[in-house]
Amino acid sequence: MGTTMRKKTQVSFVIRDEEERRHKNGVSSLQLDPVQGRLYSAGRDGIIRVWSTGNGVQDRYIQSMEHHTDWVNDIVLCCGGKNLISASSDTTVKVWNAPKGFCMSTLRTHKDYVRTLAYAKDKEQVASAGLDRAIFLWDVNTLTALTASNNTVTTSSLVGNKESIYSLAMNPPGTILVSGSTEKVLRVWDPRNCSRLMKLKGHADNVKALVVSRDGSQCVSGSSDGTIKLWSLSQQRCVSTIRVHSEAVWALLATENFTHIISGGRDRLVIITELRNPDNFVIVCEETAPILKLCFTADQQGVWVSTSESDIRCWKLPPRNSLSSDMYNQNSYNTTNVYQTQPIHHIPGGPAIKHYTVLNDKRHILTKDTANNVALYDVLKACKVEDLGEVDYDEEAKKRFKMVYVPNWFNVDLKTGMLTIHLGQDETDCLSAWVSAKEAGLTTENDQKVNFGALLLQALLEHWNHPSRMNEAGQKVIGNNFFSVPLHTPLIFSEVGGRTLYRLSVGDAGGETEGNLLNETVPSWVVDVAVEMAPPKLNKLPFYLLSHSSCQSKQDRQKKDRLVANDFIQCRKVAEHVVEKIVGGGDVNGASAGSGKGSANEDSGNDAPEERVELLCCDQVLDPNMDLRTVRHFIWKSNVEFTLHYRVLKQ
Amino acid sequence: MSICQDLGLNFQQRMGANISQLERDIGSEQFPPNEHYFGLVNFGNTCYSNSVLQALYFCRPFREKVLEYKAKNKRTKETLLTCLADLFYSIATQKKKVGSIAPKKFIARLRKEKEEFDNYMQQDAHEFLNFLINHINEIILAERNQSTLKLQKNTSGENVTCNGTVPQSAEPTWVHEIFQGTLTSETRCLNCETVSSKDEHFFDLQVDVGQNTSITHCLKCFSDTETLCNDNKFKCDNCSSYQEAQKRMRVKKLPLILALHLKRFKYMEQYNRHIKVSHRVVFPLELRLFNTSDDAVNPDRLYDLVAVVVHCGSGPNRGHYISIVKSHGFWLLFDDDMVDKIDASAIEDFYGLTSDIQKSSETGYILFYQSRDASC
Repeated sequence: MGTTMRKKTQVSFVIRDEEERRHKNGVSSLQLDPVQGRLYSAGRDGIIRVWSTGNGVQDRYIQSMEHHTDWVNDIVLCCGGKNLISASSDTTVKVWNAPKGFCMSTLRTHKDYVRTLAYAKDKEQVASAGLDRAIFLWDVNTLTALTASNNTVTTSSLVGNKESIYSLAMNPPGTILVSGSTEKVLRVWDPRNCSRLMKLKGHADNVKALVVSRDGSQCVSGSSDGTIKLWSLSQQRCVSTIRVHSEAVWALLATENFTHIISGGRDRLVIITELRNPDNFVIVCEETAPILKLCFTADQQGVWVSTSESDIRCWKLPPRNSLSSDMYNQNSYNTTNVYQTQPIHHIPGGPAIKHYTVLNDKRHILTKDTANNVALYDVLKACKVEDLGEVDYDEEAKKRFKMVYVPNWFNVDLKTGMLTIHLGQDETDCLSAWVSAKEAGLTTENDQKVNFGALLLQALLEHWNHPSRMNEAGQKVIGNNFFSVPLHTPLIFSEVGGRTLYRLSVGDAGGETEGNLLNETVPSWVVDVAVEMAPPKLNKLPFYLLSHSSCQSKQDRQKKDRLVANDFIQCRKVAEHVVEKIVGGGDVNGASAGSGKGSANEDSGNDAPEERVELLCCDQVLDPNMDLRTVRHFIWKSNVEFTLHYRVLKQ
Repeated sequence: MSICQDLGLNFQQRMGANISQLERDIGSEQFPPNEHYFGLVNFGNTCYSNSVLQALYFCRPFREKVLEYKAKNKRTKETLLTCLADLFYSIATQKKKVGSIAPKKFIARLRKEKEEFDNYMQQDAHEFLNFLINHINEIILAERNQSTLKLQKNTSGENVTCNGTVPQSAEPTWVHEIFQGTLTSETRCLNCETVSSKDEHFFDLQVDVGQNTSITHCLKCFSDTETLCNDNKFKCDNCSSYQEAQKRMRVKKLPLILALHLKRFKYMEQYNRHIKVSHRVVFPLELRLFNTSDDAVNPDRLYDLVAVVVHCGSGPNRGHYISIVKSHGFWLLFDDDMVDKIDASAIEDFYGLTSDIQKSSETGYILFYQSRDASC
């Protein structure tokens, strides 16, 4: 049971602008191409962005590299800037054409988040590792030669890690590989023959950052225990412990000749320390958030810093020989002694959505981002409706309260800092929300009911040339006849709570390759509603209908009629039923109030049924426009024995 | 008319003579004044109830509160609590010092209150204890709400502003005061390393048992750091995503009476049923908790073992329950209607078995430790 069972596929999409020129979330990794003067940044918004580092450039944005569906945790630039390798929480490693910015291939060997990469420049070898405890070694030249038909790679793996790996490092010749994990030890391998060399103990917590010297004789580690340790790999021991940070160390950068170490972490400080004399250190700058990655400028006189916020800044480093003067290091935590208070460069990021409220109509979502901006989104049309600015979020949510109940039909995810909507058939069935098309503002016609999930799936896949997308007359049936969603909308198919199977944009679904991949990926329940246009199942709601005690004679033996109706039926329909079948003297047995057919009676009586009969629930008179599920949710407040009463006003 | 298995317990059969034998064993000089040692008659597999009731009777703070309740509530309608109070009262007011008593009314009420107990099958003593404590607590809370409601009715129209809602009493009940402790669970996200903590109350701690271990070790394991990973990642608010995390549970507020449940019944998939784990787990007469949180209210409490519910046999739905209790410095064994004095050294017979071979065992199942600073 369990493990071999195939996981269900869900459909997800991101509501965003066509071009997102700013990072919307933290930036996990940075790589510099000194020749082209380009900086690559790996975003937790799932996007790798490319920036110009030239002086005096107004807008540094060059392009986005989009294909990951979760945080990009690490990147390495290889082959002299021709290729980029990325590691993501979507469990894949991707190979990119760096100058053009497109994804060349996707490696799916990891089974959990890929957290870290290491690069041996001289050999063009990359290692990847993460929470599945496995380390894979990749030959970059093989990876870049992969094509759609020739897509098998052989990889060597380094086994022996007992816990999740959070850091990796290799020296440029690729003779030494070190991994850091929650095991609190450093494990050292020789990647040439995949042999284990040693295990180094000493840290008291997770090891999150590593660098190895060019010759492979030394290694520096940064740990969640707040220390930096210098290790001699030839002597297999810790040479010194550097305590310059007050919290976890998450990023390390060694100078070319391994004389100095630049470090950053949870305490938001960038510190440069002389490795042979750790008393000589200088606080380079204080960032606004915990530091995730450090990367030298081309001249090595400055450092690019990325944090768990979306801004990227470049700071000037002090001259190495000035570290001994104790001008900036008298008190390591006195931040007035920082070397620089203004960055040389600043690449501003955008805000990440941090809070959301799904409104009662189960269609609109109110969000608040890290800059306290409140915005309103329409899930059904996959777009933003309105920017409300810096207003009171709770107040706005309260203001939009409507007494209407619609079943949940989607899940919201903010992991990328943008709105990701998941449609599935698990606990939340995306086909459970039937509404009146008129109420939803889609049509002016009465009595047309629509299913939110079905409409959305139809819109998301309307460009897909599925073979059976023909109606009886041989005409192509496309979309949902009401609306379309933005063409740029990223569409993602994935296993529920797991791995991504396929990502494309809504507008690209018409392509031949895309079509073929969709044929393989799209689950049958989606094909049924989005292509075959099969109407989803209606939700039936059972209830009891009784005459109200105020108009009931003593002798009247109350017969408790059990009726069944669609959950979105309005009380008006039930009143019609009462007028027609009960008050009008009709037979009640087996009657089912307006079940699906909208059994209206335009030709009966002159008065509207709600003027002849009123309905009550828990002694509260019901608005004829209110639907049954709303009455049950807000007034009856229980799922059992839902009971309505009627009272005749006019015979 | 016990239909429990004959467990081959090595006690002499002293039918009838039993009563005087116990008095002789204790000695009339030593027999504590105002104390009564009464066995409880078995009504067909009701030893799960008898053993727990005896253990609770000898948890002095609990017994006193139950008797106090009896004294204060003369004419209330019958509840499980009034039945318990009547039973305790009747033991405490017996003319004889030793003997046996039939908890007929209590059992009848119990069978009415909870369907699961309304049969003649063997029940899990811990489930019963858990039900009893929670149920008594609910009765007290309900009665308190009733009286505040009455109070409000009587005083309404005067200067009391009555908004119609019954204030849910946040005041702890005496059941809370005796049994309730607080656990704090701390979770550290391995990505952002933010620690979030959450408190939860407990009436007993349920610990896993290991072979050849001690209660202290079981409690240490209870508070070991657990890594939330793979499909069980932690949804970190700060990261807005699922991340690995480390979680540990520690005791923040130590209860007056610490009830420890040894999880001796493990579900085994290959047998499709619960199997008894008879591992030897040493429980000391004196206990201090080391798995307390840094902000614990009373981490230094020293506990004395006052009662043990012992399971005899091989599975949860078979076998027999007895209890051993400490009273006025000596130890007694209650086996339904029989009561015997035992040596403190005999307690180690109930630690468990060192060999892993499946067989019937007599093992400590629920331990009651009373804080030495308990005011009695």
